[in-house]
Amino acid sequence: MTSMDVQIRKTAKKYLDEGKVSCVIGYERDSRGRVRPAFIEKPEDADHLIWSSECSLNLVTYLHQRKLSPGKDQPVPKTAVVVRPCDVRAVNLLFAEEQIKRENIKLIGLTCAGTEINGQQRINCKFCQERVPVIYDVLIESDQPIEIPTDKDIYADLEEMESWTAEERLAFWTKEFDRCIRCYACRQACPGCYCFECVAEQVDPHWTSIALDKPEKMFFHVMRAYHLAGRCVGCDACEAACPMDIPLSKLNRKIAKEILDMFDYRTGDTPEDAPLLTCFNPDERLRT
Amino acid sequence: MAKQFEPKIVSFLCNWCSYAGADLAGTSRITYPQNIRIIRVPCSGRVDPLFVVKAFLDGADGVMILGCHPGDCHYQQGNYYAQRRYSIMHKLLDFTGIESGRLFVDWVSASEGKKFAEVVTKFTEQVKELGPMVLNGNEKFLEEKLQEAVA
Repeated sequence: MTSMDVQIRKTAKKYLDEGKVSCVIGYERDSRGRVRPAFIEKPEDADHLIWSSECSLNLVTYLHQRKLSPGKDQPVPKTAVVVRPCDVRAVNLLFAEEQIKRENIKLIGLTCAGTEINGQQRINCKFCQERVPVIYDVLIESDQPIEIPTDKDIYADLEEMESWTAEERLAFWTKEFDRCIRCYACRQACPGCYCFECVAEQVDPHWTSIALDKPEKMFFHVMRAYHLAGRCVGCDACEAACPMDIPLSKLNRKIAKEILDMFDYRTGDTPEDAPLLTCFNPDERLRT
Repeated sequence: MAKQFEPKIVSFLCNWCSYAGADLAGTSRITYPQNIRIIRVPCSGRVDPLFVVKAFLDGADGVMILGCHPGDCHYQQGNYYAQRRYSIMHKLLDFTGIESGRLFVDWVSASEGKKFAEVVTKFTEQVKELGPMVLNGNEKFLEEKLQEAVA
């Protein structure tokens, strides 16, 4: 048990004891020792909570199910969630989009020394320059030394692809998307994907069939990437969830890069920032 | 004689400006290429980027969106939203390998029948130059292109 575990458990216990929240969302180990999300509702269960570099899930995704009031005279369930610096931007996104209210959420922020999947550093951790959450109620300092990567050239792979011809890029994506099995794990893992009815499954209007043909896969992925334009926080939960290892983060990062360049906008900086595509500046001109 | 490539262009015209502009081009007897298929929409802000992706994947060689000039929108701000959306859409399409030259966004007012004919002519020429859309049934061609890129 590390000092971080102790502090997370202590905070969770305090929130539950004082009745500040009805549930704490954190990480725990299953019987086989693997990390999984934990939903703690009793103070005595808080001892399950842990933190380690294997905690690569974005827990903010689980706030979706808790965002609405269960009934007329019922209070909205108050929830605490353990958040890393990258996840917390997604909480700001949900605040800005009025999906959850600040007063119903407690944020147990962690300073993060990076996470890994199967012993390999996650892609977004490789470039991450931000090790303290932009918003939190309690901050728990990492017990690991934090090394901010010096490799600032985070767009090198994108720039290489930009230098290809359009046909080469199409060939690349056709090949990558061809592996897609339309399991929608990327969508389920994403803290920004919360539509009641996803376009991919909508029947009326029937945007795309459920076929596993190239146009359908292309449609799904371009649609998914576009729906996250100005909303993606770059947590890479989608790519981590993908069973077919499709490099989804390339698409997300490309859009984030262009948005930073064109509109000087980064998602989730503050809880008040209106989502990029829901506002405009009359002085802007079309960029192509 | 070899048949010349005639692109299919889906065009979304805003009801208040560009559609009337197209009408004016017609009543003024101005000729323009017949490659465009006009869909009338209430506002350029109504054009969901999904319409564009869907059009491309269903066989369009180009997509054109015309709306009111900034500041002239019938709904005050619809074209400003559209402007932001399509600035991003251009970059995304280009990155996924659909040349950004296949998507064209411009502003044409109800009195600009001549400009309407001009942009249609210009865009049709541009798409003709890009050639047919390569998306389906070209695995071998795409495989070769990918090998070239990686090499």
